[in-house]
Amino acid sequence: MTGKRRWTWLLGVLAMAAGFSMLVAAYGAAGTKHKTAATKPIGTLRAVIDTIDYLDPQQAYTGQSWWAMWNVYETLLTYKHVDGPAGYKLVPGLAQSLPTVSRNGKVYKFKLRKGLKYSNGKPVKATDFKWAIKRGFLAQGQGVGFYTDIAGAEAYSKHPTPGGNIPGIIVNNKKRTIAIKLVSPRGDFLTILALLFAAPVPGNTGPEIQNGSIPGTGPYAFSNYDPNRSFTMVRNKYFKPNRFIPRGTPNRVEVSLIGDADAATQKVTSGQADYSNGAIPPDRIADAKSKGHLVLRDTANTYYFWMNIREAPFNKLKVRQAVNMAIDRKAMQTLVWGGLGKSTQNVLPPTYPSYKKLSLYPRNVTKAKQLINQAGANGATVKVWTRNVSDAVTAATYYTNVLNSIGLNASLTILPRATYYTTIGNVNTHAQTGWARWLEDYPHPLDWFDVLLNGERITDQDNNNFAWYTNKKTNKEIDQLKKQPLLTPAVNAKWATVEKQIMQQAPWAPWSNRVFPEFFTKQIGCIHIQRLYGIDLARLCRK
Amino acid sequence: MAEPATDFTLDSAALLAAEEHEVPIVGRSPTYLAWRRLRRNYVALFSLLVFVLIVVCCALAPVYAHHVAHTGPNEIHATEHVRVGGKDRQVVGGGSYFDPKTNQFVVRGVSVLGPTWWHANGRFVLGADALGRDVAVRLLYGGLNSLKIGIGSALICSFLAIVLALLAGYFRGWVDWIISRFFDLIWAFPVLLLAIAIGSALQINGFHHFGINIKPGSIWIPLLVISYVLIPYIGRPLRGQILSLREKEFIEAAVGQGASPLRIMFSDLLPNVASTAVVFFTLIIANNILTEAGLSYLGAGVQPPNPSWGNLILSGQQQIHTAPWLAIIPGIAVVLTVLSMNIFGDGLRDALDPRAKVRVEH
Amino acid sequence: MYAFVVRRLIGLVLVLFAISVMTFLIFFATPGIDPARQLAGRNPDKTTIAAVKHQFGLDRPLPVRYALMMKRLFISRDLVSYGNQALKVVPAITSAAPVTFSLIIGAAVLWVVGSIVVGLLMVTFKGTFIDPLLMILALIGISMPVFWLGEVANLVTQDRLHNTFLFSWVPPLGYVPITHNPWQWFLHLIIPWVTLSILYIGFYARVLRANLLEVQNEDYVRTARAKGLSPRRVLLKHMLRTSLITFVSLFGLDFGVLVGGGALLTEVVFGLPGVGQLTYRSLVALDLPVIMGTVLYGAFFITIMSALVDILYARLDPRIRPA
Repeated sequence: MTGKRRWTWLLGVLAMAAGFSMLVAAYGAAGTKHKTAATKPIGTLRAVIDTIDYLDPQQAYTGQSWWAMWNVYETLLTYKHVDGPAGYKLVPGLAQSLPTVSRNGKVYKFKLRKGLKYSNGKPVKATDFKWAIKRGFLAQGQGVGFYTDIAGAEAYSKHPTPGGNIPGIIVNNKKRTIAIKLVSPRGDFLTILALLFAAPVPGNTGPEIQNGSIPGTGPYAFSNYDPNRSFTMVRNKYFKPNRFIPRGTPNRVEVSLIGDADAATQKVTSGQADYSNGAIPPDRIADAKSKGHLVLRDTANTYYFWMNIREAPFNKLKVRQAVNMAIDRKAMQTLVWGGLGKSTQNVLPPTYPSYKKLSLYPRNVTKAKQLINQAGANGATVKVWTRNVSDAVTAATYYTNVLNSIGLNASLTILPRATYYTTIGNVNTHAQTGWARWLEDYPHPLDWFDVLLNGERITDQDNNNFAWYTNKKTNKEIDQLKKQPLLTPAVNAKWATVEKQIMQQAPWAPWSNRVFPEFFTKQIGCIHIQRLYGIDLARLCRK
Repeated sequence: MAEPATDFTLDSAALLAAEEHEVPIVGRSPTYLAWRRLRRNYVALFSLLVFVLIVVCCALAPVYAHHVAHTGPNEIHATEHVRVGGKDRQVVGGGSYFDPKTNQFVVRGVSVLGPTWWHANGRFVLGADALGRDVAVRLLYGGLNSLKIGIGSALICSFLAIVLALLAGYFRGWVDWIISRFFDLIWAFPVLLLAIAIGSALQINGFHHFGINIKPGSIWIPLLVISYVLIPYIGRPLRGQILSLREKEFIEAAVGQGASPLRIMFSDLLPNVASTAVVFFTLIIANNILTEAGLSYLGAGVQPPNPSWGNLILSGQQQIHTAPWLAIIPGIAVVLTVLSMNIFGDGLRDALDPRAKVRVEH
Repeated sequence: MYAFVVRRLIGLVLVLFAISVMTFLIFFATPGIDPARQLAGRNPDKTTIAAVKHQFGLDRPLPVRYALMMKRLFISRDLVSYGNQALKVVPAITSAAPVTFSLIIGAAVLWVVGSIVVGLLMVTFKGTFIDPLLMILALIGISMPVFWLGEVANLVTQDRLHNTFLFSWVPPLGYVPITHNPWQWFLHLIIPWVTLSILYIGFYARVLRANLLEVQNEDYVRTARAKGLSPRRVLLKHMLRTSLITFVSLFGLDFGVLVGGGALLTEVVFGLPGVGQLTYRSLVALDLPVIMGTVLYGAFFITIMSALVDILYARLDPRIRPA
């Protein structure tokens, strides 16, 4: 080639190379943009859940109902829509910001965000919050016990009327302010306010139970409800998002209520549903794993055997210690849930910041037998109580076996599900030991220690402290910690100490933190597990 | 759960005897003739033998448990290892577990020891259940419970039904009306409700009055409940038969002669319905075993951990995909037992009244 | 005759009343049951429980509560479940009834046709090996627990052989209303129909056989044969007709029991939300209002069918004095 032509040729090649690389870069960038926005929307999400109790915010008290309602009824404060421990952080929901709290911890002040509307287009007013609390009392909602520390609420609850007043809640519609006065400070009050029981509802909502027809403030709204069969959620066009509450990916959510675990699992494996939250029958787990996408969810739960310290032989510490040493927690995970659980000797589950793993009772059956001997409890008659649900029966059957193997004379009694807790919570039953579990209501150690292990809160009937455990020292510590408004590391350390002291007295033999399977088809992605509310349906997408 | 009643007619045994040409017409009692007919029914006899064998095997459950399987029906061996034909296997193995290295669960199915068919020295011959208990031992003890309930309730039920039917058929009128409505009441009342309610009521303390001692969860509860609800099953057809007998001349004659009601009921009426009653008795044993299985399956019969064929099927259901024999084997046991009693009952009916038919009264 | 009918109707009402009272009392004799506690839900405090008690009239004396419950069940029809206040008893039963009817009517068609065919076969081939063989098969059918048979059927059709051409059409357990999708309704019910009918085919085939054999020697059959009619015609036109009387009456009784919730085990095993399943669930949950509703519903059908059959018999056989 001639000199000039060579340069032209070179220029041409360079130009092509540049152009080509620009194209590649552009395509690549577009490609990555495609990848980040690869979360394809879901037209209709078809979900299967096992059961709900109500779709009425002042009534619902099951995890499944809350899973659905969290994205329908917003509260003043809510939790972050993220995975992991950050999901325990309280953030503003309908309120502009976190409240100001008075120095004595008794007064909380909020301001509502501007321009909030319900799914029927009507504006949200400060009085609606007060009406929600009153409605809870009027309707005898299941959660009203949480709000009796508000000044005047106790008196109101005795004779609730629509026109009556709770002087502890002061609202101003024009200024959009809400002030709440407590009778005494309560460390878990903010978490209680974040419960759905405190979700504002329109002022004209009557106290009778209304499932799926009360307008909400969240990204979705209920569109119909067929009791025991199904319900549907559609987009709330009046929803006003903030930094913490996303708009939601599915356009529509159709939820079927199927109690049978096998049938529910099959709906997903056959492609008729996208998601099932129900237990997967243990012999189907391997099958489910191959046909779909199994996600295991840690929830804040503890399964335990309580031992009534008032009733022989469990009135002797050595016997309680022996029991803790004799049970094979690892084997129990396999026997009861096919391995989907973690052994524990703690009261609190590991999801709590204050959790410090306790290993006070290493497994030693020989030592256990010795302790029983030393306590003189050989051959003692023990009645083990459990409720008529298959995992509880399995666990209690194993437990009865263990008690027999260390020298006690144990037999099993299975009660109907509906009467179990009232029976073992009744002092006249003189129940010695049995099965129980606790799922957290809200993420605060008070929900565990105050309710289940505080001697001051023991009642003769409907008792929740099945071990009838009381100890002057730990009772006092719990009552003091109750007054702490925030869970600082120092406060958490104190909770850990209390836990250890209690477990040294061994009123319980905790054995498992259960892991719940969430089952999806392989096409569903963006699976985020919120610590409290489970699978965040608002963020699910198609792969 | 309730079986519909069958059909019978009365016919003359003498007629039949006359048809049997080999035998000169000699006066033979109907019982002897029936026995002879039954003797020739090899299928029925074989079935009776099977049933008796099953009863004997179940009665020997403690012997099997102690000497062959070396374990009890409620002992859990889940974490133990057993040598099966040279290989070492864990009774309940596998299962998911948490891997701390990856901080995730490894999901696996649970594997339960299958039938060893004597390769493990008599242990776990029919395998283990989800809690690591010996299925064969539980099957035998379960059979013992199911048979106790089936046969016991049949006895009590038949006795009560016969008494009521006699009273209704003899006295007629308003006595009959009350007893018939009582039958209606029992028949319409759901057995499940009664079983659950009584079971729950006695859960905590049992029943310790009037010299009767029933512990909570005792097998007397399903036994008594089943006896009660099946009274009309026998009572109604018997009542119908007695009513038609009541019209016959020989009863009128006895009444005219001034015989007491008790005498008439027990000496005149009862013997004539005895054959029907006996056949019903065998059929109701079969029916009650099925009813008990149903109740235990629904959780209202024999309470776990006590085994019964019904609740073995229930717990086997949990593992039906990976260990189907756990649910299938107890079912086969029920079918065999009930079938053998049904075949024998049929043969017995053919022998007692070859052309027997009783118009069913409901 | 009319006096008889009236007496039976009075009997029906008395039976229903007695059953309702018995159910009511049994329920309250069961320890640990506290309807106020059940209604008040999880973790209630004392004021809530007291308020619930008052609202539901649970602090009134027993006879008053009974009367209130009966009124709410029959007159105002707004009786509400103790376990879930959103569940009204009467609509729950009326929406479960079609499921039960679908199951039973289909099974009934199958078992009537099946048992007539098998019964006729047994009689036609009496003396050959076919008769005893069918007898044994029929007896096997009666001897199987229906829930076990259902479990095995599910294992085979849903799991083991599901991927073969034999059973790949079997849909997952459950029910689809005929108004939503008739074809799916049909598919979902085939296996339950077959399972439920096997028990009854065995029984009714034998009943029919016994009746036919008995009728064989009657005069009118001999006349028909003597007239030269073909055996088949004799069998089908003359013998079958009289034998069906018992058949129909027994069928009426069984059908009554099934409609009233007797197919409970089948419904539970196949996940069909019918009256039987509703009864079972309410019993397990010790939910008195629903229990009361389903028990009375069932008792009504059982008793009325039994009365109808009695009336039928009274007309046919004057010797049997009706009671």
